[in-house]
Amino acid sequence: MVRDRAMKWRYFKQQIFFLLVRGAALAITLTLGGIILYIIYNGYSVISWDFITQPPTNSMTKGGILPAIVGTVYLTLGAILIGLPLGIASAVYLTEYARQGRIVRIIKVGINCLAGVPSVVFGLFGLGFFVIFLKFGSSILAGSLTLGFLILPTIIGASEEALKSVPQTFREASLSLGVSKWQTIYRIVLPNALPGILTGSILGIGRAAGETAPIMFTAAAFFTAKLPASIFDEVMALPYHIYVLATAGTHIEATRPIQFGTVLVLVAVVLGIDLTAIIIRGYMRRNKRW
Amino acid sequence: MEQEEIIRLSQVNFYYGECRALNNITMRFRKNRVTALIGPSGCGKSTLLRLLNRMNDLIDGTKVEGEILFEGRNIYAPDVDPVEIRRKIGMVFQKPNPFPKTIYNNIAYGPKLTGVKVEDMDALVEQSLRQAVLWEEVKDILNKSAMNLSGGQQQRLCIARALAMKPDVLLMDEPTSALDPISTAKIEELIEELKKDYTIIIVTHNMQQAARISDETAFFYLGNLVEYNSTEKIFTNPDVKQTEDYITGRFG
Repeated sequence: MVRDRAMKWRYFKQQIFFLLVRGAALAITLTLGGIILYIIYNGYSVISWDFITQPPTNSMTKGGILPAIVGTVYLTLGAILIGLPLGIASAVYLTEYARQGRIVRIIKVGINCLAGVPSVVFGLFGLGFFVIFLKFGSSILAGSLTLGFLILPTIIGASEEALKSVPQTFREASLSLGVSKWQTIYRIVLPNALPGILTGSILGIGRAAGETAPIMFTAAAFFTAKLPASIFDEVMALPYHIYVLATAGTHIEATRPIQFGTVLVLVAVVLGIDLTAIIIRGYMRRNKRW
Repeated sequence: MEQEEIIRLSQVNFYYGECRALNNITMRFRKNRVTALIGPSGCGKSTLLRLLNRMNDLIDGTKVEGEILFEGRNIYAPDVDPVEIRRKIGMVFQKPNPFPKTIYNNIAYGPKLTGVKVEDMDALVEQSLRQAVLWEEVKDILNKSAMNLSGGQQQRLCIARALAMKPDVLLMDEPTSALDPISTAKIEELIEELKKDYTIIIVTHNMQQAARISDETAFFYLGNLVEYNSTEKIFTNPDVKQTEDYITGRFG
């Protein structure tokens, strides 16, 4: 009987524990669902074909948000184009080439610090260096560079993990055939690491699309109806547009639905970019089996 | 040892950091023979094997002293490119490690990337697979992933992959330790066949295997070369007590 009671008590504790972890998972799901439903509820009324294909009109209280969508897509793609090659190259150097020691440790600490720098600091750096010093002006180029550097630590971190997860035996097999180190990295290590690199980089990409502070001084225009013609043009961007409508407009209350509509579009754009990366990853993963 | 030698080590020391893994090794390997390296774990036999194609270069903080001559040339001389050495001295590893590519591309990978002029890649792939006695089993699935093969087939594929580079020497690091007895027997037969064209140096923990397949056997203990002689002599009448104890299973 005593054993039975002990057993019951243990069973009871287990139930409590399960309840707690289930509760935690539920709380997160509900919060996420709540936010998304809230955005949809408040924003769906303005969503229409015109909303995503027309520029704003009447001091941005009417019309669509096409320039902001295009701007955000350009800026995000630009950030990927800059951050991904640079990040992968850095990670390849750190994990494959550099002699593991003090200097590598210092570089890694530096990268981690970079990840912790507030995004507005990146914005100011971009303003000082790209916009003013390199004379790029407030432009897609300057904004993409700034965002690219912002997501660099995420990409380097993801790439390092992905490179390390490629079995050492693949490298040995390739090198033992008399294939050079660079060829081994290019032909064996990188292709097998790419799905992992993309997985980790998706986080960075989402961040690049959603950040306001880094593009505020480097790329984003308060209002421009025309679409960018070159990478030296200023653009509207979704996050900055939301910020402007919600804080700096003359009709903050009147544009609430537009604000939420814009948020909804931003979330959709980020999800769309993520989805593309996930599809590419799935395609590359088909052959991965070890 | 009247037969032509292909590799000669003289007074080789090897260090992992401060730790000395090989102690003043002097020995030579004869051409077209199978030489077995035996000894308890941690005795330095795998380290020695990986010295011969400079795979230990990949580990930070290692140091080599002494000379290792391959066809009369010191492979650790400053002007020698390890990549060049590895083309001539191929390697098969303990665990089968095919690339996650098709069977065909596993074989073609080395020749393609090292810029070897290959007139007919299909013929080279077939020839290599035939040499590794794998052709009949895979000739219809050359474009399937090598990862679908069984362990024993994968290991023979790895041998074929090494052979496609047409090396002079084949290093084998416990090539059957991860395989079942039938696959092991197949690989042993294969080694017997291959020694006509290649010099084979094999590390093994399996005494019967060393006795079965090798012409010469070297016994290592704690980084020292204890005894090196014809396999027959080592297994019937070793000079050193330690060798006898190890072979008869009294320690190790």
